[in-house]
Amino acid sequence: MDIALLEKGHRFPPVSFVLDEAAVHRYLEAVEDAALPALCRVEGHDWAPPMAVAALALRGLMEAMGLPAGAVHASQEFEFRRPVAVGERLASRAWVAHRSQRSGWLALAVEMEATDEAGQAVLAGRASVLIPQ
Amino acid sequence: MRPGKSTSETWTVGRELPSLSKALTQEKIDGYARASGDFNPIHVDPAFAAATPFGGTIAHGMLLLAYLSEMLTEAFGRAWVSGGRLKVRFKGVARPGDTLTVRGKIERVQDEGWHLFAAVECVNQAGELLVTGDAEVGLP
Repeated sequence: MDIALLEKGHRFPPVSFVLDEAAVHRYLEAVEDAALPALCRVEGHDWAPPMAVAALALRGLMEAMGLPAGAVHASQEFEFRRPVAVGERLASRAWVAHRSQRSGWLALAVEMEATDEAGQAVLAGRASVLIPQ
Repeated sequence: MRPGKSTSETWTVGRELPSLSKALTQEKIDGYARASGDFNPIHVDPAFAAATPFGGTIAHGMLLLAYLSEMLTEAFGRAWVSGGRLKVRFKGVARPGDTLTVRGKIERVQDEGWHLFAAVECVNQAGELLVTGDAEVGLP
């Protein structure tokens, strides 16, 4: 995929992912978040940290985009719609919402949504990236 | 999830969120790369990063957002993790050796205190702004 050719409205192929227990453990170790484990384990249920869900949804998008190494993450929005259970299968979908060129940079805004197996949104977001040309 | 500890009486305009600081190392950046699957060489390859305009490795922007999220979790509990909104701009880069501080302040209160808007930011040890933005949360 040549990212320079992406037009507004382009839809990336959906990416399916699961945030399993090992992935949650790696995430909590990496971010050193002491508050999350107790908050995410309640009444016999284990919930995934919301920013871990966001990170995996974004990873799938970045891989689909094939961003060059010099790309810059300029801004980010997330809205957490509901908690996600550890082990729950999700699908992330993304599309180009805005495209512009200025001073040797290509600016892309990509909107994304992660949904559960019933098609209900658990996370929505928008990422803006600057790509050198 | 258990109810958050926040109540509508807890938060008033101008009140600061509980700030936190993190000492950033290359090991922590590498750990986040393994956790997130983002192995962009600008984050994990010092030789590659040295040849870029950044002059060295930089942290993932999402790692800084994880630190912001930790502060918001501490402040708002379940309300944050199950229904929060975060909108940020990346203004600078975080490097190994930096000490990062995330902080925030309530800017607006709606619905008789049940809906909160906070300004949030992440700065380095020199006070340079790395991330700035807004968080929104509805209390249960």
